[in-house]
Amino acid sequence: MNTDSTSAALAADAQLIQAIRAGDERALSRLYRLHWPMVSHFVLQNSGSEDDARDVYQEGVMVFYEKVREGSLELSCLIKTYLYAVCRRLWLKRLTTKSRLHGVRLLDEEEYGPYLNTGAEDDLLEAEERDRRFATMSEALTHLGEPCRSLLEGFYLLDKSMLDLTAEHGYTNADTAKTQKYKCLARLKKLFFASYKEA
Amino acid sequence: MQTEADYYALFEAYQQGALAAPERASLEARLTAEPRLQQLYTDYLELTSTLHDYAERRRTRRTIGALHTAMLAADATVEEAPALKATVNPRLRISRTEQRLREFWGGHRATVGVAASVAVLAVFGTLLGLEAYRTANTPSAGGYQKLRLEMAQIRHSQQALINKVNTRLPGAEVPPVRESKYGGTGFALTADGYLVTSAHVIQGADSLLVEGRDHQRFHAETVYADQKHDLAILRIKDADFKTFGKLPYTFKAGQADLGERVYTLGYPREDVVYGEGALSARSGFDGDTAFYQVSIPLNPGNSGGPLLDAQGNLIGVVNGRDKDVQGAAFATKSSYLVRLVDSLKNRQPAAAYHLPHLNQLAGAGRPQQLKRLQDFVFVVKVYE
Repeated sequence: MNTDSTSAALAADAQLIQAIRAGDERALSRLYRLHWPMVSHFVLQNSGSEDDARDVYQEGVMVFYEKVREGSLELSCLIKTYLYAVCRRLWLKRLTTKSRLHGVRLLDEEEYGPYLNTGAEDDLLEAEERDRRFATMSEALTHLGEPCRSLLEGFYLLDKSMLDLTAEHGYTNADTAKTQKYKCLARLKKLFFASYKEA
Repeated sequence: MQTEADYYALFEAYQQGALAAPERASLEARLTAEPRLQQLYTDYLELTSTLHDYAERRRTRRTIGALHTAMLAADATVEEAPALKATVNPRLRISRTEQRLREFWGGHRATVGVAASVAVLAVFGTLLGLEAYRTANTPSAGGYQKLRLEMAQIRHSQQALINKVNTRLPGAEVPPVRESKYGGTGFALTADGYLVTSAHVIQGADSLLVEGRDHQRFHAETVYADQKHDLAILRIKDADFKTFGKLPYTFKAGQADLGERVYTLGYPREDVVYGEGALSARSGFDGDTAFYQVSIPLNPGNSGGPLLDAQGNLIGVVNGRDKDVQGAAFATKSSYLVRLVDSLKNRQPAAAYHLPHLNQLAGAGRPQQLKRLQDFVFVVKVYE
């Protein structure tokens, strides 16, 4: 790859990241379609199925997307290389947990260049931590019981207004519903921190 | 005293900027002053931010999931529209079964390859191993030994001798001796220069040298070699050769009897060696009826020697022994030799084979027999 095409690709990448950060769904869609063949090929090459490839790729794109949205992505290479590194790492992890054979060896494509030192490792650790937090939260919500769960999910996850929720749950007025919400929040806090801290 | 829920209401209002200025100021003051309240506020922030992030994550997941479905759908429409076949993904349409097969192949081809190689190796290993085992255990290959003398064995001692002579006589140039590669025994078939030996003795020969007891040497050529019965007929080429003299023995056309006393003369070493025994079977190695089994101790170099009975009838040509059996040597029956000479006579009527008709050995004692016989037994030296 010569310098011209590299810098052109870098410029295109920067543009794409800009668009995605601004919340352009079509840019994300373009990115998604652009790199799917690479990852799907990689996973299929390394004893995975089409579904595995999809899961791994979505996970990888998610890591990338969240970093972009946060604005904390420090990209020292092409998006392609970054995604390859992330998906490679994810698939390697799945393979090692799936098979009892330790020391899985992956077939790599030379053209995606040095997939090391892309910062993907750190980003993945971060993403793992976040995943754990979300998993704990999801569990805490499940253990919360009704009506607290649907009240909080309605408010925080589904973006319903307090008025809607008041009507839905049959509270006399919005204030009662609010009071109820705060009580639920206090209970959620106990459940969440109890399992999150101990884990 | 306010409950935790009350504080949450307060925090939410504070975050949304819905608090009046004095209330906000008092809360901020309390937050800095009271560590307990501060902890409560941090927890509240973490909880709500986690909830918001979680909501964001769920949305993102949905979006990306939708992207994948949209992409597959777009690919499908691309595939269905024939005009746009060669666009983004020029993959041909494949059936579900083939898709599965391809995935399986993609995922397991390394394993399949290893398994196939192991199978191939195992099959060939077993076949070759069995073959090797069988050949190692077949008696025919291991047991039968042709008694051709390999000169390399004795060359060493000979060389030592030459060296000794050289050192004794300084200045005396000894011409380099060209040594023969193999050696065997042969005997006269007719008085006018035909000889008999074993076919394996002259195998691969470039030139043949026949040497008598009196160290008289003749060049010889092969007239006919019968590998099946291990017989070879030679003829002396030398122009100055006249005759061996009258042959004292006759060739027996019939079969000899079991238990007959037999003997042979041969050159397993430089000097002629006599061997005696009995005819122990009327078939040879592996039941081959063209041969006799005789109980004479024989060595490499004895091949091609004459086998005679007590009356001095030539009954066979010595050619081998069984390494696995004690005292079992083999000789081609003379009837095959006679038959071979007859067929040669028919083929080349010009060449005359005057087989001897008169046995001069009958009735004589063994030493007298040998004295007459040894002039007609020769060393056959083979050069390659």
